[in-house]
Amino acid sequence: MRQQTDVKLDNAFVVNDLDLYYGDFQALKNINIKIPLNKVTAFIGPSGCGKSTLLRCFNRMNDLIESARIEGEIYHHDTEIHGKEVDVVQLRTVVGMVFQQPNPFPMSVYDNVAYGLRCQGVKDRRILDEVVETSLKQAALWDEVKDHLNRNATKLSGGQQQRLCIARAISLTPEVILMDEPTSALDPIATSKIEDLIIELKKSYTIIIVTHSMSQAARISDMTAFFLLGEMIEYDDTDIIFHNPADQRTEDYISGKFG
Amino acid sequence: MTSEQQNSKALIRERSKKRRSLYKSVDKAMQFVFRFCGLLAALMIILIVFFVTVRGIQVFLPSYDDPVSLREFLTGMRWRTDQGIYGVFFIVINTLVTAFFAGLIAFPLSTLSALMIVKIAPKRLSNILTTVVELLAAIPSVVYGVFASGVITAIVKRIANLFNYTTFGGNSMLAAILLLAIMIYPTITSMAVVAIRAVPESHELGSLALGASRTQTNFKVVLSSAKSGIFAGLILGLGRAFGEATAVSMVAGNAFTGPTLNPFNLVRTLTTTMLQGLHETVGTDYDIRFSVGIVLMLVILFNNLAINALRRKIESGD
Ligand SMILES: Nc1ncnc2c1ncn2[C@@H]1O[C@H](COP(=O)(O)OP(=O)(O)OP(=O)(O)O)[C@@H](O)[C@H]1O
Ligand SMILES: [Mg+2]
Repeated sequence: MRQQTDVKLDNAFVVNDLDLYYGDFQALKNINIKIPLNKVTAFIGPSGCGKSTLLRCFNRMNDLIESARIEGEIYHHDTEIHGKEVDVVQLRTVVGMVFQQPNPFPMSVYDNVAYGLRCQGVKDRRILDEVVETSLKQAALWDEVKDHLNRNATKLSGGQQQRLCIARAISLTPEVILMDEPTSALDPIATSKIEDLIIELKKSYTIIIVTHSMSQAARISDMTAFFLLGEMIEYDDTDIIFHNPADQRTEDYISGKFG
Repeated sequence: MTSEQQNSKALIRERSKKRRSLYKSVDKAMQFVFRFCGLLAALMIILIVFFVTVRGIQVFLPSYDDPVSLREFLTGMRWRTDQGIYGVFFIVINTLVTAFFAGLIAFPLSTLSALMIVKIAPKRLSNILTTVVELLAAIPSVVYGVFASGVITAIVKRIANLFNYTTFGGNSMLAAILLLAIMIYPTITSMAVVAIRAVPESHELGSLALGASRTQTNFKVVLSSAKSGIFAGLILGLGRAFGEATAVSMVAGNAFTGPTLNPFNLVRTLTTTMLQGLHETVGTDYDIRFSVGIVLMLVILFNNLAINALRRKIESGD
């Protein structure tokens, strides 16, 4: 047994000795990381280093990839999320996810936001109305869509769609929101809106964000982890990573020497 | 720039000019071919519709030898060729009811089968099912007809006996409905398979990441994203149900009057009316089949419009 001190209350996740294989290929090598509560943690690193793979571990989306195999432990508070008693569906209501490409369902704005709750069996229209409104407000989208909640969500702009996806994730009041390059498909204005939103959201949620934008990581994150070829090279306060990194490779990456 | 470089540049420019003009004429030629093909298709439709309409209208004109009253034709509840009575209204009702129930049976089965094939069944089973559906689609109508008149009618007879009804050897509306349901099942299924395959994986992942189960994801997101294609399949399937003549005429029984809502009664559909005895007849009885053809085309047209309206209604909200 691991000693209980690893599972401190101020961490959303504690990852111990995590290895992940896609078939024979090892995509994550001995990862140890603690994700603090109500902070924004950024994962950076060159393409293919395993950022998305690690992110998908936290809500067990890797379960859907047949060849993926995991060794090691991930604690969410005091439960190991691969344990037998853990219900994946339940886990995913606690750990929400926003994808790189906005992926609203081809249904109305309202139905998109109500989707998660409805899947949990909530039918009461008043509750749904309320959650849809507060979620959209938290996602800073309410003012733009409140007059056409019945419009098909696919008709929204890319940036609006992404905020809708954030609202959809928020609707289940998760503890953690995972974001995989949420702004990479958006223009600068939509991007800065989402960045402001993330800073606002960290008051209530723990956020883990994968990003290729150094300036974005520096602007919005509290902690930054730098990955290279499946290994976590360095993990520290964002300030330290960006101004005083311990590892030469981190410095090289941040200063744009490779990537 | 050296003069050599300038020369070669000029040469390239010259060549590419030639090539461009070649591309242009190929483009033009291809455009002509495409236009021609499009025109040909349109022309065929116009020709068929025109021909059927002209032949179909003439029996109602005063210039016709023994004109039929259009009003009686459209509202009539009897079809007695021997007595010169041609009332198509009950036939339209029979046709609509038969096709409707065939669709009602086949549509959910097809949709679920397609979901099974694409999303649920393991690869091997899915391949087997796909092959089965393809084979079903490839069986000619007349084979379905023989099967129906040998097997389906026998089953219907049993069912009728169970409820203390008599049938004419099992020939009945129910037999026609079951036959058509089987016949349109592969049509709707294969369209639904294509539609479900086309649903982007990101929708599914989005749903699963929101804590939806597989089943919830399949029904709420996959099917609803594939709606358009599945409805297109329904249109095609019902089109087949309305248009199928050979097989249906082997079990429908060609009732003289109607409409009937009793599933064990004989029925008469638009297609069977057009087909039955086509080669042994002349005069009004022959010409009026074109009028029935017009009615059939109108029925199919309205059906398609209705399904499209339904689809739009479902798509626009919950
Ligand atoms: N489903 C999969 N099957 C097999 N290998 C995979 C799969 N997904 C990712 N990989 C491999 O695992 C490694 C890490 O991929 P991952 O997507 O996590 O990288 P990433 O850091 O998110 O890259 P990017 O910045 O380009 O998104 C890569 O070498 C990739 O080829
Ligand atoms: Mg990635």
